[in-house]
Amino acid sequence: MSYLLTSALLFALGVYGVLTRRTAILVFLSIELMLNAANLSLVGFARAYGLDGQVAALMVIAVAAAEVAVGLGLIVAIFRHRESTAVDDLSELRG
Amino acid sequence: MSLLEGLALFLLLLSGVLVVTLRNAIHAALALILNFLVLAGVYVALDARFLGFIQVIVYAGAIVVLFLFVIMLLFAAQGEIGFDPLVRSRPLAALLALGVAGILAAGLWGLDLAFTQDLKGGLPQALGPLLYGDWLFVLLAVGFLLMAATVVAVALVEPGKASRAKEAEKREEVAR
Amino acid sequence: MALLGTILLPLLGFALLGLFGKRMREPLPGVLASGLVLASFLLGAGLLLSGGARFQAEWLPGIPFSLLLDNLSGFMLLIVTGVGFLIHVYAIGYMGGDPGYSRFFAYFNLFIAMMLTLVLADSYPVMFIGWEGVGLASFLLIGFWYKNPQYADSARKAFIVNRIGDLGFMLGMAILWALYGTLSISELKEAMEGPLKNPDLLALAGLLLFLGAVGKSAQIPLMVWLPDAMAGPTPVSALIHAATMVTAGVYLIARSSFLYSVLPDVSYAIAVVGLLTAAYGALSAFGQTDIKKIVAYSTISQLGYMFLAAGVGAYWVALFHVFTHAFFKALLFLASGSVIHALGGEQDVRKMGGLWKHLPQTRWHALIGALALGGLPLLSGFWSKDAILAATLTYPFGGVGFYVGALLVAVLTAMYAMRWFVLVFLGEERGHHHPHEAPPVMLWPNHLLALGSVLAGYLALPNVLEPFLKPALAEVEAHHLSLGAEWGLIALSAAVALLGLWAGFVFFQRKVFPAWYLAFEAASREAFYVDRAYNALIVNPLKALAEALFYGDRGLLSGYFGLGGAARSLGQGLARLQTGYLRVYALLFVLGALLLLGVMRW
Repeated sequence: MSYLLTSALLFALGVYGVLTRRTAILVFLSIELMLNAANLSLVGFARAYGLDGQVAALMVIAVAAAEVAVGLGLIVAIFRHRESTAVDDLSELRG
Repeated sequence: MSLLEGLALFLLLLSGVLVVTLRNAIHAALALILNFLVLAGVYVALDARFLGFIQVIVYAGAIVVLFLFVIMLLFAAQGEIGFDPLVRSRPLAALLALGVAGILAAGLWGLDLAFTQDLKGGLPQALGPLLYGDWLFVLLAVGFLLMAATVVAVALVEPGKASRAKEAEKREEVAR
Repeated sequence: MALLGTILLPLLGFALLGLFGKRMREPLPGVLASGLVLASFLLGAGLLLSGGARFQAEWLPGIPFSLLLDNLSGFMLLIVTGVGFLIHVYAIGYMGGDPGYSRFFAYFNLFIAMMLTLVLADSYPVMFIGWEGVGLASFLLIGFWYKNPQYADSARKAFIVNRIGDLGFMLGMAILWALYGTLSISELKEAMEGPLKNPDLLALAGLLLFLGAVGKSAQIPLMVWLPDAMAGPTPVSALIHAATMVTAGVYLIARSSFLYSVLPDVSYAIAVVGLLTAAYGALSAFGQTDIKKIVAYSTISQLGYMFLAAGVGAYWVALFHVFTHAFFKALLFLASGSVIHALGGEQDVRKMGGLWKHLPQTRWHALIGALALGGLPLLSGFWSKDAILAATLTYPFGGVGFYVGALLVAVLTAMYAMRWFVLVFLGEERGHHHPHEAPPVMLWPNHLLALGSVLAGYLALPNVLEPFLKPALAEVEAHHLSLGAEWGLIALSAAVALLGLWAGFVFFQRKVFPAWYLAFEAASREAFYVDRAYNALIVNPLKALAEALFYGDRGLLSGYFGLGGAARSLGQGLARLQTGYLRVYALLFVLGALLLLGVMRW
């Protein structure tokens, strides 16, 4: 149970990071933190409900890997020609 | 909870805090690695040994390393420098984060769970039948997804025509 | 079917003249129009002589389009088309040279058609069509010279005041429909032979229908439109506002006599209104300076007499007066028209005078008309007015008060009639004109009208007209006076009339008038300030309300258009939320998700 609460806290920390960080990569990093918090809660529940939780966590890891690949590729593509990776600079959708 | 448990949870939270607060991107990434490693240990303690190993190999060992590569590629190590234009939104962000935590905790409140499942240690022998049984479709789909992601990643990072032209120019200059 | 023809003939005239009139040369439109009216007259007379006619056609559910030619409607038809024909002929000359010549005759024919619809109607809705139609024709004709804004205003005033009355008509119809389920006059007549259903509601219906009559026939309080209607050409004043349209109200009462004869209180009210109007008209005629307006107020007064007669229950007497009045009033108007024509358009009596020498034939027309109006014994006006006076004493709803009042008004009538004549024809020439007599086409109708004014009384002596009309009217018990009493009353009326005529003749030849008279005259000229009172109490407040609503409505519309602007501003404000800042979006995103989770949780 304490693990579940911890996962909740980690998730909240991740949210804070997403909202606070100014660099795209660090935002991404916070997202990874959130994902792992979710995984932790899945595994914690697996102990009460069965192995499916662990299988799900496994799938999450795989998908996270794919997501990171694509996401970082995007970041590289966007920021390759810019000076900074500041997220605030991406304000072309202003409206 | 036992001492080890408490320590593990404390480290998890500490590294989590570090991840979201450190200014240097590389330091933050390293904090994340610490988080993942402790997390792997927790998984093993929670009868999810296979998952713990996968966590170390894939997450800590591949994903964060990829992060580090990109950080260094883009010279983004400085991370958060200068003045934050939205500094006044920090308290609001903190509030929202607390709100999330609160909601989740409230969801967990009063849940009377019996953590008594026999997970057989979360070993491949136990996971295998599930993976290739009920979760087969999901497994295949995720595999496909990974392939797609690889293709996309390569496509995104491929240098465009302009860069190609520039590089061709450079090579010519060198050759002259 | 032939009965419908009487209406269709002038209607055809309206259509032809309206469509092709511009291409016709004078006097073809006038001749055509007059011819069609004459044809209607002959057709109607023929049908009447052959015993009457009926026409029925499917129309609205429960309300057939039905026409009835019986003695009453036949009588009216002959008046309308007969006098109408004479006035049409007069107008051929009078309107000569006017650029709207064919338009005039188109409208004139339309009027005749609508008036016939009104008269021949056997059900109230059909009558209402005619009712509204003559109102329309009146509007078009009063405002004939529409380019003059005052004339256009007069036309509008007439229409609007009439509308008030029309509302009464419609409501009265509604009540009758609700009570009896039919609006056919013949059927209603039968239905009311037994005991009455709901007498109070019926009284209301009777009163409402009378309201319609009040509007159409210019009784108090809706009489204000008639003097202003003199803005129209003189033939219009003669035909519509003297001989025919204004008598539609009297006709309505007569046609509905089966209703009014069983409503004593309503009839009494009608008589009172009639008497008051007679007095008002007579008093106001003294101060008028426009030759036509004197005659107009006289019409109001004489119409009051007719309603007085109808109110006391003597319906045939009222119609008798309609008949004689048609002749002498039309004559007075047309004679006025001849004078106006002679003086090149002058209408102010203060600039007339001494025309006796110059207009050898019109002067006789005028004299005969004035004397008939004043009730010179043996002329038509005398007989019909005396009949009314007698009726107030013999008919069930009458009374001595009515008699005395009517007698006094008769004196006044004689006096102002003489005033009219004296000011125009006698005395010194106050104007600077070269008067020329009217052309024959204008004189001959007047000859005939003058003849009628003299003889009409004999055409309708009690033993001829009363039985003739009786079948169509309600049975009303009237006591009969002894022969001595009858002749006594006649003598009294004669004496009174002669007195009034002589007094007027003498008084108005004076050079100087006493102060009390001048004060009275000034008030009389303003028709005792009724128009001003109405303006202050009703017209101006309504106008203010209308303007407020108009501007409010426009404001509302700009408000609606403004809604577009408001939406735009709102959009612009909202657009500012789209800062483009990712982190702001992220904040909002999390906030939203939190809210959702919170709501779901609880």
